[in-house]
Amino acid sequence: MDLLSNLALGFGVAFSLQNLAYCFAGVALGTLIGVLPGVGPLVTIAMLFPITFHLPAVPAIIMLAGIFYGAQYGGSTTSILVNLPGETASAVTCIDGYQMARRGRAGPALATAALASFFAGCVGTLLIALAGPTLGEWALKFGAAEYTSLMLMALVASAVMTQGDAVKGLAMVVLGLLVGVVGVDVNSGMARYSFGIPELVDGIGFTVVAVGLFAVAEIVANLESREPREVYTGPVTGLMPTARDIRDAAWPTVRGTAVGACFGVLPGTGPALSSFATYMLEKKLARDPSRFGRGAIEGVAAPEAANNAAAQTAFIPMLTLGIPASATMAVMLAALTLQGIATGPQVMLEKPDLFWGLIASMWIGNCLLVVLNLPLVGIWVKLLTVPYRWLFPSIILFCCIGNYSVSNNPFDVYLCAVIGVLGYVLVKLECEPAPLLLGYVLGPLLEENLRRALLIARGDPTVFFTRPLSLVFMIATVLILVVMIAPAARGMRRGT
Amino acid sequence: MQASSMTRLLALSLLLGAGNCALAQAPYPVKPVRFIVGFPPGGTNDITARILVPKLSEYLGQQVVVENRGGANTAIASEMFVRMAPDGYTIMMNAPGHATNPALLKLNFDSINDFAFVTLLAESQNLLVVHPSLPVHSVKALIALSKQRPGEINYGSSGIGATPHLSGELFKYMTGVNWVHIPYKGGGPGVIALVAGEVSLYFGNVPTVIRQARDGKLRALATTGPKRTPAAPDIPTVAESGVPGYEVTTFYGMSAPARTPRAIIDRLHGDTVRALNSPEVRDRLQGLGADPVGNTPEQYTAFMKNEIAKWDKVIKAAGIKGE
Amino acid sequence: MKPDLWNNRDVLAGLLFIVLGGLAAILARDYPFGTTMRMGPGYFPTALGVILLLFGVYVLARGVRSGDRVKGEWGWKPLALITVSIVLFGFLLDRAGLIPATIATLFVAAAAGREFRWKEVVLLAVVMTAFSVAVFSWGLKLPYPLLGGYY
Repeated sequence: MDLLSNLALGFGVAFSLQNLAYCFAGVALGTLIGVLPGVGPLVTIAMLFPITFHLPAVPAIIMLAGIFYGAQYGGSTTSILVNLPGETASAVTCIDGYQMARRGRAGPALATAALASFFAGCVGTLLIALAGPTLGEWALKFGAAEYTSLMLMALVASAVMTQGDAVKGLAMVVLGLLVGVVGVDVNSGMARYSFGIPELVDGIGFTVVAVGLFAVAEIVANLESREPREVYTGPVTGLMPTARDIRDAAWPTVRGTAVGACFGVLPGTGPALSSFATYMLEKKLARDPSRFGRGAIEGVAAPEAANNAAAQTAFIPMLTLGIPASATMAVMLAALTLQGIATGPQVMLEKPDLFWGLIASMWIGNCLLVVLNLPLVGIWVKLLTVPYRWLFPSIILFCCIGNYSVSNNPFDVYLCAVIGVLGYVLVKLECEPAPLLLGYVLGPLLEENLRRALLIARGDPTVFFTRPLSLVFMIATVLILVVMIAPAARGMRRGT
Repeated sequence: MQASSMTRLLALSLLLGAGNCALAQAPYPVKPVRFIVGFPPGGTNDITARILVPKLSEYLGQQVVVENRGGANTAIASEMFVRMAPDGYTIMMNAPGHATNPALLKLNFDSINDFAFVTLLAESQNLLVVHPSLPVHSVKALIALSKQRPGEINYGSSGIGATPHLSGELFKYMTGVNWVHIPYKGGGPGVIALVAGEVSLYFGNVPTVIRQARDGKLRALATTGPKRTPAAPDIPTVAESGVPGYEVTTFYGMSAPARTPRAIIDRLHGDTVRALNSPEVRDRLQGLGADPVGNTPEQYTAFMKNEIAKWDKVIKAAGIKGE
Repeated sequence: MKPDLWNNRDVLAGLLFIVLGGLAAILARDYPFGTTMRMGPGYFPTALGVILLLFGVYVLARGVRSGDRVKGEWGWKPLALITVSIVLFGFLLDRAGLIPATIATLFVAAAAGREFRWKEVVLLAVVMTAFSVAVFSWGLKLPYPLLGGYY
């Protein structure tokens, strides 16, 4: 139980009044900036990152951990309040969270998101301490073939995501895959669909797609009718979840945590994949799947839990291999280097107090988040009573600033306007943005790994079936297809 | 308690600001200097800039402010940069992308003539590591094995045109071996693939792979620099292990827009070299695996010309295409 | 009851997919296609373009047989104004500074609303501009010029 004592060491490092104060300041700043629509977690962290330069090492990481949690939760908050996901993972939260808000249940949605995240964060922290190395070995079993099969499975399952029309949903996934193709091809280095514009060589950024498809499209749709229509209709019924809400959200939270913890270990894919996967799982398990998309609390609890559990287990490659697996982790390491204490990622292996201090401070950040945000729920909900004619120009403004600040380039702002037009047309034609976003995120990974797997196997396609883990995903893909097609086929026979 | 420390921070920064104003008697600089970095915050380029900035601001007597404008391996930042007034109030960080982009992309600027190169700030090198299952312990043995098994050995990289890829292509170009390049999206996934044995070899930046080599998860064969790295003086260079003339470095340099007056370049150069020589900047750069350089504007210009020519040859020979 | 084709959301969605898929497939012809076992950069986008096109044909055909009207009316005016307000922000920030960009964006965006009350919009512009400058320029020290060009 060497690892548990390490965790104790970490808490010893992190727990001081001063460090807690820095952590609290980080959470507060992260939430306040992250809650601005269009300013997603990555942008928030990048904006706030320089503040920690002036601090000594331990307070600096602890404050960063606080900023990380605050920013992430800020992203979830905008998903719920104004239908604008801060990052891929919270795109799923939008689906039911925003509907809850429109029905006057923004309070319970926000509180559930915070509590489910907190639960997942606790489990994730424990998992790192107890099973970190085991899970790390598991991550090494994932080669190009396994990733390919996993992505295929996820994309096939995504048809379940859609509320209405499955065919349009699949078409939207394909459209998303095409949006993801824009930019340099990892395998050949060739820039595709870039039209000679250097900004497009790096692909279309997440903020641009999310703001265009979700925020701009939603705002225009709300403004189109001539007679005044209130966006937030339901009367506000209580700020905290009811006993029934808690009962409904409990198991989805646990399942979401489990899914998130498993996928989180896979570098790069974890959080996004796990929140989509868990949403599909809940919809399949639900006694009444039609509630999803109309403000089901499970649709908020499960993805938020998965997202946060994945964010925790994403630290495992760092612990076992000394490799920063996520952009956030890389930023944290950068901060340590600037402090003059890190000599590369290996510092985590060489200085366990630092690593465990970081893990402990992540937990503390998570904890302070709940402490700070439960009282704030009331304020966020009040925000929705501000007349929409004041709210929407402000949202547009923040989206512009957020988009611009990703790389200080007006091009991203122009591109966002274009995507916004497409987004509005799609909304009018009843095509949902969430599957598009899933395709956009998973597409490049699918293509990259598919081609890599074939390159390594020198063109032998049996590689997807001879590697055991890959075979498992392939069989699962076929099963999902059968489960999806069987009722439809039966229905057709009965119909004719 | 929190409030008081914030106030202190604020007071301190005001104080520093006041100090800077008092110092600003010289004709240049009289206002803050913008330091453009062609990558988002948090990468090694950004860190290098931010390590340098406090000391450089102190010596220049004006704040130097890091500004990130990422994209296309510094090309987007460069395109904006070359249109800036050549008055010394905008400077830029150059990365290896500056030397490889001319061969990979259609650029709307001239990578040599549109810039006034100030100094090479630092250089770091790559380490050639192999998966322990590959039965070689030296560069010579690796070349021999590769010749026996042409087209069978896979080498990984962090992406097309990045230094791990170019290190491999230069090696192929100079030794005539035939390896298959497997690109990954970023250094993290690339190194994981090597540890997992999906690829057999990798030219990784020293700090990112040295630990795994020391732990026996990987085997280090050689470094790519002109001389051995202080971080691992026991590992030979590729050049001294049988491929003379082989040299790949990841460099960080500083430039101003072309036609910046010589007096301003000299001022920037002098203060930057002074900052590079200060122990805190030196130590932190070495922590990043980078060795401070600080050569003259002429040496840096010649270095850049040489790099651009070298990569043009290798990229054409390897048939790498950007657009 | 069949709505007319130009107001039939499945017909329109089908057309949109056909156009986008077709364009994607045509543009992808510039990229080496490769073979199934050794895909070039053109393989994946071509395949996706064709699949999207086929989905489009299916949705279109279904729409022609039985489709639903587009719900509500098209909000071309708010769409145009919101788009212009976003473009204006990008255009003005580099050339005129954060303050003019903020004010312009707020005014044009507000004009997209159902009612435009001058006094309120002026007040909103003042408050939001002050907020943006305080948070982004002073608080977070983002290097945007407040007034004046970038170059």
